[in-house]
Amino acid sequence: MSENGSYFYHALRVDRNVCTGCTHCLRSCPTEAIRIRKGKAVIYSNKCIDCGECFKVCPSHAIYIKQDDFELLDDYKYRIALVPATFIGQFANDVKTSQIYACLKKIGFTHTYEVEHAVSFLIELYKQYMAEHDEIDTFISPYCPAIVRLIQVRFPSLVHNIIHLNAPLDIASIVIRQRLVEAGIPGEDIGIFYVSPCAAKIAAVKSPAEGKKSIITGVINMDFLYNKVKLMLSNSKSIVEPINHSLTGNDVLWGLTTGESRNFNNSCFAVDGIRNAIEFLEKVEDEEISANGLVEMRACDQSCVGGVLCPTNRFVAKQKLKARAEIIDSKPKKEDSDHKVAFNNKEFAEKIAEMVKIDEIKPRSILKLNDNLQIALRMVENMKRIEGMLPGIDCSACGAPTCNALAEDVIRNESKIENCIFAHKKMEEFYKVMFDIWGEDLKTL
Amino acid sequence: MHYTFDIEKGNFTNAGNASGSVKKTLKQLNVDPSSIKRIVVALYEAEINAVAHAYGGKIDIDIDGDKIVMVVADQGPGIPNIELAMTEGYSTASQKVREMGFGAGMGLPNMKKNTDKLDIQTELGVGTTITMTVFLKN
Repeated sequence: MSENGSYFYHALRVDRNVCTGCTHCLRSCPTEAIRIRKGKAVIYSNKCIDCGECFKVCPSHAIYIKQDDFELLDDYKYRIALVPATFIGQFANDVKTSQIYACLKKIGFTHTYEVEHAVSFLIELYKQYMAEHDEIDTFISPYCPAIVRLIQVRFPSLVHNIIHLNAPLDIASIVIRQRLVEAGIPGEDIGIFYVSPCAAKIAAVKSPAEGKKSIITGVINMDFLYNKVKLMLSNSKSIVEPINHSLTGNDVLWGLTTGESRNFNNSCFAVDGIRNAIEFLEKVEDEEISANGLVEMRACDQSCVGGVLCPTNRFVAKQKLKARAEIIDSKPKKEDSDHKVAFNNKEFAEKIAEMVKIDEIKPRSILKLNDNLQIALRMVENMKRIEGMLPGIDCSACGAPTCNALAEDVIRNESKIENCIFAHKKMEEFYKVMFDIWGEDLKTL
Repeated sequence: MHYTFDIEKGNFTNAGNASGSVKKTLKQLNVDPSSIKRIVVALYEAEINAVAHAYGGKIDIDIDGDKIVMVVADQGPGIPNIELAMTEGYSTASQKVREMGFGAGMGLPNMKKNTDKLDIQTELGVGTTITMTVFLKN
């Protein structure tokens, strides 16, 4: 539950019928959000950042990612597929983008719109934001929602360093909706469906970090749509739809590692992988590292192509996107599509720039033990004592990822020290001595 | 709450261990982020200073209900001129230390800036003891 009582949506779920309680997931979780309770994995809503690490390591596929019902499309007259370039990267290079889009239309969408159409506009917005906030030197990109949530829960002092603008996918959806509305289409007839490569983006659409409601109607999992398109392509290769898209090579590369940072100065950083991000953020927090500009940071290895819903191997997808970008750049520049031309209208651009501003990203520390410093201090002292009684081998058999986490659970009244099999063994020895002295009758007391 | 850490001469890779563990505790105590930052920066500077200049030493940290006291005591050359050492940009760091990206002459000034109380006891040829206090609010 959040501070204002509202529920944080999470896309990651545990199928209790399949879960074997094996502890792989809780050991892989970067925010220690999972415990094994009564033999099954339980995800703590306030701690989970939807990074998908647990999904990747689960050997029994008990962790799944909930998606919106595909039939939701039927409720809208105008059904827009909001597609990141990552999706195109899933297909072999001999499959034309136009073929993929044709399939999407056949599947039931009326329009397709690439998230990256907003890239060049966004770069300008970032630059403007950074110039307006010269008191900050290290700016963290709002691109990856798992990173934004990670900062909220584990690095509350760095929330101010996040660029307070919507992520590209929100910006893209704002733009397409605005354009359709300006073309005279009633808002209630427009359904925007984002094709997501990961759990974090789904969660971000369902409950955005800044607390506002997203204007994206629904989310379709990338692997689900990939299967549909792939099947259609294998049945009929000839479907082609003329498309009006004019992404540059730079736009196509946006979702890969260095996609953002390459557009800014040399003192920018590009960090990918959740563990790398944590290591980096610790150092930013200590002021050991400071960037004189943008830090691009994505939770998945190789960025979005490494998302848990991407069916194609991330290195292969990355290579394909690079090849596509190269082909685009080698051809004479196409005329800008309507989507891009729209930004040339000063009034329209200013309106969008205003709409994508975020007021506040609230820190919500999962580490704090109590609001009262005295009580918290006593809790930390007790925690240290309890930890001293534990073996320190982090075996996870108690249902917590580490001995330290069990100690914290105990002082938070969420677990018992006896759940540690080593502590339990010691207690048994103690009881045995007691029974020897006082007799077995003690058991019945 | 008491913590003790050892400082090893020339081991820059491990400098930061003390500030790292203290940081986690301070977050658990819900100390406000700006105070945490000040404490961690001051402590890190003190650790680096001792690693760069002294032959070894010890850090003692005490946290109670309203303040954190960090005592960094080293066996080392001592500081010949404290006033000069407090000047931003003044540095006696060796070329080797500078090549590693340290020794910009901001150590003591940064400690002063980020703490509420700074006390320096130093004796030439014996060592230096720096006591830093930050009052906590949450």
